[in-house]
Amino acid sequence: MNKLTRGETHFLLYKIHSLTGIVPIGVFLFFHLAFNSLRTVGVRQYQFGIDLINNTPFLLLIEIGFIYVPLLFHSFMGFYIAYKGKSNVLRYGYPRNGLYTLQRISGAIVFVFLIYHMGTTVVPKMFYGKHAFEAAPFLIDIMNQQFGAWEGRIYYLIGILSATFHFANGLWGFCVSWGILVGKRAQQNAGWLFFLVGLALAFLGLATVWEFSLHPESVTPSISG
Amino acid sequence: MVKREKKIIIIGGGLAGLATALKVCESKMKAVLVSYQPLKRSHSVCAQGGINAAIDTKGEGDSPEIHFYDTVKGGDFLAHQPPVRDMCYQAPAIIRLMDRMGVAFNRTPEGHLEFRRFGGTLFSRTAFAGATTGQQLVYALDEQVRRYEHDGLVEKLEWHEYLGAVIDSGGICRGAVVHDLRTGSIFTLKGDAVVLATGGPGQLYSRSTGSTVCTGSAATSAYLQGAKYANGEFIQIHPTAIPGLDKLRLMSESARGEGGRIWVPRKRDDDRDPLDIPDEERYYFLEENHPLFGNLVPRDVASREIHDVVYNKKLGVGGDAMVYLDLTHHTKEYLDNRLGGILDIYEKFTGEDPHKVPMKIFPAVHYSMGGLWVDYETDGHGMIDHRSPRNQMTSITGLYAAGEAEYQYHGANRLGANSLLSCIYAGLLAGPCIHSYTQHLDKAPEDVSSSVYDDARRHWESRFQEIRSLNGNENPYSLHQELGESLLANVLIVRTNNKLKETLKTIDDIETRAKQVNCLDTSDWANPTPSFINQLYNMIHLSRIITQGALVRDECRGAHFKPEFALEQPDRFDPHEYIDYIEKSHYEDVAETDFAPGHLTYMKQFEEKENHWRKSTIAQFKNNCPDISFEEVDASLVTPRPRKYD
Amino acid sequence: MSNNEIELKIKRQDGPESSPYWERFSVPYKPHSNVIFCLQEIQRRPINADGKDVRPVVWECNCLEEVCGSCTMVINGKVRQSCTALTDQLKQPIVLEPMSKFPVVRDLQVDRSRMFENLKKVKAWVKIDGTYDIGEGPVVSQTDRNKAYDLSQCMTCGCCLEACPQFQLNNDFLGAASFSQVRYFNLHPTGAMNRDERLESVMGEGGIADCGNAQVCVEVCPKNIPLTESIAEIGRQTTWEIFKKLFFK
Repeated sequence: MNKLTRGETHFLLYKIHSLTGIVPIGVFLFFHLAFNSLRTVGVRQYQFGIDLINNTPFLLLIEIGFIYVPLLFHSFMGFYIAYKGKSNVLRYGYPRNGLYTLQRISGAIVFVFLIYHMGTTVVPKMFYGKHAFEAAPFLIDIMNQQFGAWEGRIYYLIGILSATFHFANGLWGFCVSWGILVGKRAQQNAGWLFFLVGLALAFLGLATVWEFSLHPESVTPSISG
Repeated sequence: MVKREKKIIIIGGGLAGLATALKVCESKMKAVLVSYQPLKRSHSVCAQGGINAAIDTKGEGDSPEIHFYDTVKGGDFLAHQPPVRDMCYQAPAIIRLMDRMGVAFNRTPEGHLEFRRFGGTLFSRTAFAGATTGQQLVYALDEQVRRYEHDGLVEKLEWHEYLGAVIDSGGICRGAVVHDLRTGSIFTLKGDAVVLATGGPGQLYSRSTGSTVCTGSAATSAYLQGAKYANGEFIQIHPTAIPGLDKLRLMSESARGEGGRIWVPRKRDDDRDPLDIPDEERYYFLEENHPLFGNLVPRDVASREIHDVVYNKKLGVGGDAMVYLDLTHHTKEYLDNRLGGILDIYEKFTGEDPHKVPMKIFPAVHYSMGGLWVDYETDGHGMIDHRSPRNQMTSITGLYAAGEAEYQYHGANRLGANSLLSCIYAGLLAGPCIHSYTQHLDKAPEDVSSSVYDDARRHWESRFQEIRSLNGNENPYSLHQELGESLLANVLIVRTNNKLKETLKTIDDIETRAKQVNCLDTSDWANPTPSFINQLYNMIHLSRIITQGALVRDECRGAHFKPEFALEQPDRFDPHEYIDYIEKSHYEDVAETDFAPGHLTYMKQFEEKENHWRKSTIAQFKNNCPDISFEEVDASLVTPRPRKYD
Repeated sequence: MSNNEIELKIKRQDGPESSPYWERFSVPYKPHSNVIFCLQEIQRRPINADGKDVRPVVWECNCLEEVCGSCTMVINGKVRQSCTALTDQLKQPIVLEPMSKFPVVRDLQVDRSRMFENLKKVKAWVKIDGTYDIGEGPVVSQTDRNKAYDLSQCMTCGCCLEACPQFQLNNDFLGAASFSQVRYFNLHPTGAMNRDERLESVMGEGGIADCGNAQVCVEVCPKNIPLTESIAEIGRQTTWEIFKKLFFK
């Protein structure tokens, strides 16, 4: 491998920023929403899914390497990028410019939402030492409690819409900045395709919220410790 | 002995200036490019249709020799022939060079250069890049100059205006006085030679196809310093332009080169939609009057025909001074590929789509064939000695001129797509010639007495101080407009001595009033007003050169048309008869019966007129007026003859 | 709004360091007039709406037919060429401001030298051997030529940069115009010989990766240059370049 120049390093950091948004964060988002939507099938099935994840070997390493580090990198880089630009959508109200602005706003919202989301799920889980098969009942209780109130439902609604929008629009941005979508028509078509992807993901997430909110149900650990 | 670095000051960043700069750099001299504005913005970008070179890619039998003939004939045999011939022979190489620089010329299916028809010739000789050829050529040269700038060989002084030359006691130009348009400071540049590539004087007419910087001010300044100004009265009126309040925007001749047809309704004040007027009720006057060249007669001819149809026959569209230029028979795809750019502009300014409805156009002031007198040296074979320091040098030693600022290549009327060629050709020629000149220069600018520079600077400083202190009641911008209106009314397509005399009085009057202008803005920073007042002063002098030249020249030639002195060509006259007549008259008395009735009388009159008037008009500044004299034209290569395009 | 007058509101500034101020003018209405005509009228009668003698407004223009790129300004909130801004199509008062992304020189005149410097940075030229007659240029297909021509009409007017949310007065972003020039020269057979240098020049800070794809550039470009395609294309070329450097060299 050749030594990179300062410029190339800069370039690479930006490229990695857009890449991490897709892999692993986007992929994670997809699986996260997909797994959680098991809740719409039934709380047992949902519990099964969570147990499966919580019992993955080397979970912490995977979480750190594939979620936390990329996410932090993507977030801080994202804030830096947003800081470098200055939205002018009020002057130039073209659709893409609106999306540019929304991408930055949604990113910031997701960041705040994640603090809330993880602060109310992952942190207590660690704090109370709830691991493996104990995690699901513990988390489901937390969720039931959160979705029992309007605030929680609204937070999640905003969080999920922001995250899925940020992902879908980011997917488009990735394809353009990596030069996968070059032609004008290709960019337009893919824009609509990714809109549908975002819509589908948002649907998965919102269906889960819906189910939690309407049918709160507790579970006990599937294997008693 | 240490070889010192030569420094050449080039004024103007259009095609001629940029081409000169490239050659100066290649000759290992340093170029200082002074420009009123950033280089990419010069007026050359306005050229649309193309650039001529007889490469004959279509097997039509074209050759540089025919190009040469067409050019001198188009110019009504007023141009010195060797420089024109040399230019036409260099043209193919110039096109190849521009192509190598990456100009996006239109292509044939095989990927070679495409050529199209243009006015004044029967051959497809014009290479083009859509309808923005000038812009594309400027950019290509600008990119090369930028490359040299990047490598440190070119120094650019943008936002600087040339005020005058620094001329020492020996009459040699040793540099230039320059005005920083941001700070307002005036300083001198020392150089081994100065090149004026400062373009034409369209602004004299207030509204023309020229850009706002085309004031002719720099060339006039040289004239005021003693340089000869030649053929000033030959102002080209382009037949097709879009009328406008601030500018008359050019509608390229290429629109006709691509088959555009000029017509008016046969019926006076026909107010039908043009598309509803059937073919037989349309008067295609160029095609009818000139069956051979049709819509592609030279510009002077076309403009006069339009003038005649509109003002004498009163057939202008809707009773206004306008005729139709019709492209609606072509497909949108074809037009966009070949004319892209100008049709959009037409639509932007008029709101009408020229793909669907005929354009409404009228003639407008476009180009000055005249300009600073420059020298040339032949190689004895009808070509130019490419190393002679005399080429492109004005009558002031060390002061060169190239491009529209000089007079050399177009005679009394320029053919379309020859201006880009002459600008680049003259620029490329000037470079090496200036190099030769500097080889024999007696001393370096550093060895010239500093008082020469100081005096020049002080002269201009006090001139500008004087301008700033003007606080009369005349507005300089309005005065400029008045000057323009007066020239537009009287020194245009059709000229009469009465009107010309009147115009000279008007100019005198404007000159008097110009002393009463108010310098509306006396601030120091980025203040264009004092500079404009100085330009106005120059424009007044240049108007006088043009009008005086027009008044003195009692004949019709090219763009200069005086009905009182028009020679009516007899019916079925063939210009070759004139050659026969000349030939015969060398040996014997020519009898009336040798030619068709009336032909001999006409030819005798024509010969007499030629002997008297086929001379360059030379204006020299004397007692605040142009002193007009005449100089022989070198017609050693082609016998001048009556022009005919039908 | 009276029918025989055109109302203008102009943001003026005496110099780079002075603070801006607004001044109103009215000029006689003329059909088919453009913003340039209004400014010229002000030159001929430099009196503001309060009837006070003022200094004529300073602006930059040249060709007046949208090929030189000089007369860019912000008109009624949007950046465009003032020569093609026809008063009949504009809401009054017509609000004129200098571009905000370039240092103001005076009134509506700004300093766009950054754009020209950028052309040097990205090596926007074909490296020819010299101006001597050494033969023809390369054969270029009609398709490639048409693509090139779309790009070569860029007149460095700055509209794309003024409207770009990523391009700021005090950052180092190169912007759409420069990226498009890189594509243009990389497209040319001879220009492509220096492709790598050019790509390297747009990979650093302020380079292609900084583009946020807001795509306003393409909306405001007066010459309809496919700027966003250029950006994506240069994105592709640079991505390959870094791949090659990381994994294939």
